[in-house]
Amino acid sequence: MAAVVLNNVTKLFGETAVIKGISMSIAKGEFVSLLGPSGCGKTTLLRMIAGLEQTTSGSIIIGEKDSTALPPEKRDIAMVFQSYALLPHLNVFDNVMFPLRMRNLGTRQEQARRVKDVLEMVQLSHLATRRPRELSGGQQQRVAVARAVVSSPQVLLLDEPLSNLDARLRESMQEELIQLHRQTGLTTIFVTHDQEEALSLSDRIILLNEGTIEQEGTPAELYGAPTTRFSAGFMGSSNILDVELVMDGDACRAMLSAEDVLTLAKGYVRGGASTITFRQEDVQLAPAGDSTCTARVETAIFLGSRVRYVVRAGLHCIRCLATDGQIFKVGETVALQVAPNRIRVLD
Amino acid sequence: MNKYHDDWIIAAPGILLLCFAFLVPVAGIMVLGIKNPDGSLTISYIERFLTDAYYLGVAWRTIKLSCIITLVCAIAGFPFAYVMARASPNLRVWLMILITLPLMTSVVVRTFGWMVLLGRGGLLPEALYLMGFVRRNYSLMHTEAAIIIGMIQILFPFMVLSIVGVILRLDPRIEEASRVMGCSFLASVKRVVLPLSIPGIVAGSLLVFTLSVSYFITPSLLGGARLPVLAGSIYETATKSQDWAFAAAQSLILFIGVLILLIPYISLTRKSHG
Repeated sequence: MAAVVLNNVTKLFGETAVIKGISMSIAKGEFVSLLGPSGCGKTTLLRMIAGLEQTTSGSIIIGEKDSTALPPEKRDIAMVFQSYALLPHLNVFDNVMFPLRMRNLGTRQEQARRVKDVLEMVQLSHLATRRPRELSGGQQQRVAVARAVVSSPQVLLLDEPLSNLDARLRESMQEELIQLHRQTGLTTIFVTHDQEEALSLSDRIILLNEGTIEQEGTPAELYGAPTTRFSAGFMGSSNILDVELVMDGDACRAMLSAEDVLTLAKGYVRGGASTITFRQEDVQLAPAGDSTCTARVETAIFLGSRVRYVVRAGLHCIRCLATDGQIFKVGETVALQVAPNRIRVLD
Repeated sequence: MNKYHDDWIIAAPGILLLCFAFLVPVAGIMVLGIKNPDGSLTISYIERFLTDAYYLGVAWRTIKLSCIITLVCAIAGFPFAYVMARASPNLRVWLMILITLPLMTSVVVRTFGWMVLLGRGGLLPEALYLMGFVRRNYSLMHTEAAIIIGMIQILFPFMVLSIVGVILRLDPRIEEASRVMGCSFLASVKRVVLPLSIPGIVAGSLLVFTLSVSYFITPSLLGGARLPVLAGSIYETATKSQDWAFAAAQSLILFIGVLILLIPYISLTRKSHG
C-alpha cells in the first residue's frame, strides 16, 4: 500500500555523490518531511522523485509502478516549487487547469468544475481571471498549491514552498497546508530546512545529512529522542555536552566538573567519556542552595513569555529556556537541575 | 524639477549628436523628395513612383523578400536560441562565438563568398546537380533565392541574440513545472517557452525586417541588375541617373512603409508586456 518506495537510490553529480543510497517507503496519505541543512541532498532527492533529475542507481516506485526511468510527465505526481513557477502568460484559472488539460483528465466541463472546486478550497475563486504577477506572494503560493492538488496525483511534492513568505503568512499557510492535507488525503513529501515547520506539519520526519538518512521517526521521536549528535544539534535548542560518566552504586552520573554532577535515568550502565544531550526547556534553574550542580548565569535574554539563559557549569556552556517567574541576574550563581529521564546519552 | 533638469543635461550630448548627424540630414532628404527645384511643394516624384509598374514591382519584391527573410530567421532562430539558452555555460560561449563571428567580418567579403558558393560550378549548385535536382551548369546567382540565402546568413545573428536574451531571463523552473504537470518536452517548448519568448521574437523580427528592407550591397551583388530592391534602386537613382529628388522620394516611401509596418509590431510587444 506504499505510495512511494525508494530502493537504495544514489545520485552522482560528476564524481561527487550527492545521494548515497537512500531507501524509504511512504504510505498512502502520509505527510513526510525531508529535513536537513542546505546541501544535504533533500531537494535533489525530491527532484529525483519528480523525475527532474536522473537516478544514478537504485529504483523509484510511485503508485506501484517502477518510475525510475520515466520522464516527469509520465509520473503521476505534482510539485510545488519554491519560486511557485506559475505560468506568467496564463491567468489563475488556466494555470490551475493546465495539468488537467495536459494530462487529458476528464471532459472540458469536468475540468472546469474541478478547477472551480479547487480554487474554492484555497479561497481564490474571486481572483480566477488575474495574471500571476498581479497577485501577492501568499496568493501565488495558493495558486501553486491549487495547481498541484487539482489532478489528485499519487504523490504531492513540496519544495520549501513556504520559505518565500514572511513569518506571519508562513504560520497561516502552515495551518492551511495541514487542513488541505486532511481534506485531500494526498500523500505528501515536504522538503524543508526549518525543523519547526517539519515538526508542526508532518506525520513522519526523515532527517538527511550529507546524502544519507540520519534519523527518521515521528516529530515527537525526533524532537524528544535524537539518537545522534547531528540530530540533536539539528533539531535545535538542545544542549550537547562531552562529559565523563561515572557509576555511583546503580546510578550513572555525568560529571560536568569535579563538583557538578547530573544524574542519569536508571538503566544506563556505563562509564568513561560520553556525549549527553538534553533540551534547553528541560533545564530547571533555582536559587543557589543545596544542590548537586551549580552554575553561573552568563547571559539572560528576556523573550516575553520566557527567559533564555546561558549558564556556565564547570567548562560547559548550557542554554536554558525558563518559563516560570523567577528572574536571575547575570553573574548570579544558581542551582541547575535536569530531570534524569530527560537526559539522553548519544551513541 | 531639478532632477528633470539634470537628466536633460546628461542626455544633451547624445541628443545634439542625434539632431545634427541624423535628424537634420534625414529631414533634408525627405524634404528634397517633396519639393520642386524652384522650392514649391510637390507630390509629383511620389506620384511617379506609385504609378510606375517597374517601381511598384521593386517595392513589392523588397517587401516580399524581407518578409521571407524575417520568417525564416524567426523559424530557425527560435530553436537555435532555445538550445543556446539552455546549453551549459561552456557550450553557450562557443555557440555565441559561432553566431557573432560572422558579424565581425565585412558584409562585402561575405557576399563575395556567397557569389563563389552560389555561382556556376559553386558548392551549392554542384551539390544540387549531384543529387539530381538541377541540370549541369545551373547557377543560383541572380535569383531571389540567392538574395534570401545571403541575407539570412547576415541577419540570423540579430534574431538569435534578441530571442536568447528573453529565454535566458525565463525561470527554468517554469519549464520544469510544465513537465511535472504533464507536458512532454516539445509540448512544454510549444506551450510555455514559445509564448513567453514572443517579445524576443518580435524584437528580432523588427530588427531583421527593417535591416533587410534597407540593405543594398548583398541584394544588388547576389540579385544583380535584373532583380533590384528598393535600397538598390535608390542607390542607382542617386548615383547613376543623378536624380536626387526622385531618390529622396523613394527614401521617403521606404521610410513611411517601414513605419506603417512597425506600428502593429510595436503594439503587439506592448500587449505581451502589459
